[in-house]
Amino acid sequence: MKYLGKKIATLIMTLFVVSAAAFIAFQIIPGDVVTSILGTEATPEREAQLREELGLNDPPVVRYFRWAGGVLRGDLGVSYRYAKNMNEMMPVAELIGDKLPITLSLAAISLVLIVVVSIPLGVVWARSKSKVLDAALGVITQASMAIPSFFLGIIVTYLFGMVLKCFVPGGYVSYEKDMGGFLFYLLFPAMAIALPKAAMTARFLRNSMLTEMKSDYVRTARSKGCSERRVMYGHVLRNAMMPVITFWGMILAEIVAGSIVVEQVFSLPGIGRLLISSISTRDLPVVEILILYITFVVIFVYFLVDILYRVVDPRISSR
Amino acid sequence: MITIEDLSVNFGRTEAVRHVSLEIPDGEILGVVGESGSGKSVTALTLMGLVSAEATVTSGRILYDDVVLQEAGKPRDKALYRRYQGAQMSMVFQEPMTSLNPTQRVGRQVEEMLRLHSLPAAGAAHGTAQGRVDFQAPIEGRLRLYYSQQERQAMKQLVLETFAAVGLRDPERVYGCYPHQLSGGMRQRVMIAMAIILHPRLIVADEPTTALDVTVQNQIMDLLREINEKQRSAMLFITHDLNLARRICHRIAVMKDGRVVEIGTPEEIIEHPREDYTRNLIEAVPGRMKRQRRSAGISREPVVTVRDLQVYYQDGSNSLFSRGKKNHVVRDAGFEIRKGEILGLVGESGCGKTSLSKAILGMNKEITGEIEHFSSRPQMIFQDPYSSLNPSKTVGWLLEEPLRARGKLDPGQAMTAADMRSAAMEMLETVGLTEGYYDRRPSQLSGGQRQRISIGQALITRPGLVIADEPVSALDVTIQAQIMELMRRLQEEMGLSYLFISHDINVIYQMSDRIMVMKEGKIVEIGETEEVFAHPREEYTRQLLRES
Repeated sequence: MKYLGKKIATLIMTLFVVSAAAFIAFQIIPGDVVTSILGTEATPEREAQLREELGLNDPPVVRYFRWAGGVLRGDLGVSYRYAKNMNEMMPVAELIGDKLPITLSLAAISLVLIVVVSIPLGVVWARSKSKVLDAALGVITQASMAIPSFFLGIIVTYLFGMVLKCFVPGGYVSYEKDMGGFLFYLLFPAMAIALPKAAMTARFLRNSMLTEMKSDYVRTARSKGCSERRVMYGHVLRNAMMPVITFWGMILAEIVAGSIVVEQVFSLPGIGRLLISSISTRDLPVVEILILYITFVVIFVYFLVDILYRVVDPRISSR
Repeated sequence: MITIEDLSVNFGRTEAVRHVSLEIPDGEILGVVGESGSGKSVTALTLMGLVSAEATVTSGRILYDDVVLQEAGKPRDKALYRRYQGAQMSMVFQEPMTSLNPTQRVGRQVEEMLRLHSLPAAGAAHGTAQGRVDFQAPIEGRLRLYYSQQERQAMKQLVLETFAAVGLRDPERVYGCYPHQLSGGMRQRVMIAMAIILHPRLIVADEPTTALDVTVQNQIMDLLREINEKQRSAMLFITHDLNLARRICHRIAVMKDGRVVEIGTPEEIIEHPREDYTRNLIEAVPGRMKRQRRSAGISREPVVTVRDLQVYYQDGSNSLFSRGKKNHVVRDAGFEIRKGEILGLVGESGCGKTSLSKAILGMNKEITGEIEHFSSRPQMIFQDPYSSLNPSKTVGWLLEEPLRARGKLDPGQAMTAADMRSAAMEMLETVGLTEGYYDRRPSQLSGGQRQRISIGQALITRPGLVIADEPVSALDVTIQAQIMELMRRLQEEMGLSYLFISHDINVIYQMSDRIMVMKEGKIVEIGETEEVFAHPREEYTRQLLRES
């Protein structure tokens, strides 16, 4: 319980620091949201009026705390750029709420792909006695890690979309209309995300297993008459998972925050794309909330990793 | 009978074992004694079929009755070996912490023996009614994944009984523990339970007590002897300690450079050694007989006085939100170290020896009380010469480092590069090495040579007081004797004072002018060495003396 309280306190402090930093950054970088909304042709009166509407005339400190207070009350503010209709501003909550399921589903599918591919691959690789297989896997994983994700996205689109015709490139299916179609469509961008990460994980797992194989307890297991197979699955695998879990945490935090490039290539209206467009249009309320979201996700995922550690390695909880 | 015939094992070009022949009849404890690198462990691992893949058997064979387990020129038949490993031949390793899987409950690890092998007919010998333990043997070469509730109950029961048999109190609790939740002695008992649960014909014990404290060491030795008597298991007992082998073995083989140089009963080996090497081994063992009396050179003046010292140890992380728990590791320590004397500090691991020495060095900030120094900055010699020397630096650099550090702290004492170099050269001579070692790196040195460098590092700034924390514990017996000799000589030549820490009371006896006994953070006894040995005042001291 004390542990949980400590984590939450850290979370709150981090969120405060990060949001303040983002706010300050937007004060420093040149460019004016009013100009960016109205264009350069607008009259000074119109500009002044908009400035007043958006509350931009108050000092930055006042504006920050007004905004932060709103967030605490559950009011995430309204977007400067998007409008619901002619008369209503677009609430940020609603804007992000629309995109979140897309990014989260993509992340979930990617993670499943990574886990399902990398563990067997890593184990097979660690066990392989054949030099050819070893070298081949080395080259393949290295190549997968080296390909930039946009290029991988293009390859996947070309291969599965144009040649095999599994899906229509760019033909995003909304989850509100067709859940099955939506998930199927996501499979391909997920592949583009998962492949390099799975390759890295497999490499990690293999190296970690080979290190563990040199441990004393492996010798003990052999002295009991364990087969190599049993030594691997019964003893080594769990101990070798520790660095892999750390790595998964990093990956998960990254993809839940939105895979900007892959969302772009597959024209998915997810968090990553929203972030890019909001930054370029200086849509401060949206950017602020997105930064808070990403910070929260990263900390939360690390918290999960921490818990997972304790499950995998009993030594940690008693330390 | 298990027979090793003319066995030679090579690692690449290095011959680790050369033409070794040993016979281990049922029920006998055969000791193999030798220093590190003598090939004793490789012999044992080869016998067990556990030697690493880089090793090749170049001559001879290993027989289990008439079954050839291994033969020169043929690859090891792993499937054949697996039928014997665990069930017929089992092993107890040196380091019980790392030899158990850290992420599996120990009960399960012992139980795995039962899951891997069929239960021997000797089930009754556990005091278990034959009918009570009934679970299906695993089918040859395959593991069963499913066991019925009853079978699992029976297996667990057998594990609990074996735990009780090896002297583990509260077997039920131990069963559910992870290795890190047990003490060193308990872990070794778990290892032994694992080794005996199937009543193997042979138990190979590779330095089973080396990593343990003296008192625990004795308990484990008694347990091994008891198992040998009760179960009639043969034992191959590997150790570097001739005294230990004498206490338990029926026959002893002495190994050197991969060969068995001498074999015989303990009396023959120890009373009438035929080989010079064996004689050296016997003489090098620190004992109560070999003390030169001396009191010259010790003055009444202290180099350091400690008054009412308390040392605490911060437990766990020290974050913004919580302070770690404070452990009181040294209580009410008060003593002095006199100029020119060697004060021996003895006690079991965890008794606060190292915390106390760090406090004197000023490396521990969590202290109260008073430490007053009357000499220049004290220096330290560490236990493990393998990990305490930076492997990426040369010997010369390592020797000059304390001089550089002193120069930084006090510019008045800064030396030129040439002066430091000549000081390092001189120090190499002083610790019994030659100038040729100046450009070597620690990896090119033996354990004894590394410890000489550590000593050189400590002495190069000419301190008045040197704290030596188990300086010979990681070394072989013959090397140990040389290093102790060197430390004595330097002490007299340079008029040093030592705080000499060891868990080995015989080493302490040989080295110290006065000794100080610590237990659970408290100094329980302090006095002239002869006085303490002849008339120990405390029960704990008496116990320590009895058990070594």
